[in-house]
Amino acid sequence: MPAVQAKSISCPNCGGPVQLRGFAHTLSVVCPQCLTVLDASTPEVQILQTFQGKTRTQPTIPLGSRGKISNTQYEVIGFQTRQVSTGEDSYSWDEYLLFNPFQGFRYLTEYNGHWNFVHLESALPEPANARGRPAFRYGGQTYAAFDSMTASTVYVLGEFPWRVQTGDSVACQDFVAPPWMLSSESTGGEITWSRAEYMTGSQIWQAFKLPGSPPPAYGIFANQPSPFGGDVGSSWRTWLWLNVVLAALVFAFMFLSPGRVAFSDRYVYSEGAKPDVALANTTGPFVTPTFQLDGRTSNVELSIHTDLENNWAYFSFALINDQTGQTFDFAREVSYYHDSDGSEGSRDNRVIVPSVPSGQYYLRVEPEMARGSPFVAYDLKLQRNVPNYGFFGVAALLLLIPPLLTTIRKGSFEAARWRESDYAPRSSGGGDD
Amino acid sequence: MNTPLFVIYGVLLLGLTGTAEYQGWSWTRVNQQRVLPKSIRDNPGAYRSSYGGYSRYIGGK
Repeated sequence: MPAVQAKSISCPNCGGPVQLRGFAHTLSVVCPQCLTVLDASTPEVQILQTFQGKTRTQPTIPLGSRGKISNTQYEVIGFQTRQVSTGEDSYSWDEYLLFNPFQGFRYLTEYNGHWNFVHLESALPEPANARGRPAFRYGGQTYAAFDSMTASTVYVLGEFPWRVQTGDSVACQDFVAPPWMLSSESTGGEITWSRAEYMTGSQIWQAFKLPGSPPPAYGIFANQPSPFGGDVGSSWRTWLWLNVVLAALVFAFMFLSPGRVAFSDRYVYSEGAKPDVALANTTGPFVTPTFQLDGRTSNVELSIHTDLENNWAYFSFALINDQTGQTFDFAREVSYYHDSDGSEGSRDNRVIVPSVPSGQYYLRVEPEMARGSPFVAYDLKLQRNVPNYGFFGVAALLLLIPPLLTTIRKGSFEAARWRESDYAPRSSGGGDD
Repeated sequence: MNTPLFVIYGVLLLGLTGTAEYQGWSWTRVNQQRVLPKSIRDNPGAYRSSYGGYSRYIGGK
């Protein structure tokens, strides 16, 4: 914006110079020396209101500052503080009036480090409904009712395109569709609509080249965009695609790991006398014939099936490479008990031996039972390359963590936002404004 | 977690799952004794299993 010579008048109260930057738009101006509100609409500048307050407020963005927002340069020409009192509680926010000779007036509002760039709207929003809440539709977007209040002007500085005075009050209503907020201000039967876009303190500091860094924002503002807003949908979409890949992996390993039987046989174990069965009988440790484990280094599953009845058996195994002597030592208990009340345990058990290289192997088997037990017949089956679906199950669970966390965090953020609203869920005890 | 990080996490997780499956990893604890004399095949009783000596009652209704 080119440098423009501001018009200057004298304050009829203190005689101090008062600059007018808003040209013919300015209807009232506040003397920066004595804070008297002056009527600037006529050449005979008249006093509208003298300053009755006790303290002066220093705007964070000084009057006369220039900054670029949305590629347009604006000058700060006015400042007011508005306050809402609800019984014993009250809160206030600051409003900056921005002016550009070609674009007209805009506003910046600041509350607890949350900023909004505000534009007055000429079209009327249409009443609507947003999940049971009153709402308005404007510009293709639905704005849900957030809160309503009566705000009073408690401090003014600079110039304004209306006759501003401290004590002015308006009924306000806010409707939100983050990062946007639609607000209505009604006074004397006239309703003004404005639309605000949320801005961070850093954006304001950068736009107006303010020294230092912005103060941190406290709490969650009505139209503050959720940092997880876009993430929830995309993280669930990513989750879906990763599960498609996981399912493809499952199918691939169903072919890569067919679970080929490398060895199987049936045995009988007894503590003492030889049972009358036509099976290889063992009373102590024994070794199986050798068998070949082919292919890549992979797992081996040994499954045990017994005919136990109200008894237990314990099997110590050693899978031994016949050439290298490399041994995998493991054991499994099998126990099965039943009566009229039901059953406990199982006649079967299995063990997966991890990462077994290919080669010629044999099994050393050492069964045990309680002394005096009857014999037990059992089958041993050894399979190579058995799919371990537990890994896929764990992967599926672990893949759920990020989208679930994102969803929970977004839910917490939105709950915190709506706790400040007039439409807070009943369980939260309502807003504190 | 934002999407690119989730994609990296997911790809690493699926890569680990595929590797575990391909290499035949297992949750099972297995002792691996690398040196074992060939005489074990002829005399299986000479081998002392890490899990042997179990003869005691457990469980039961």
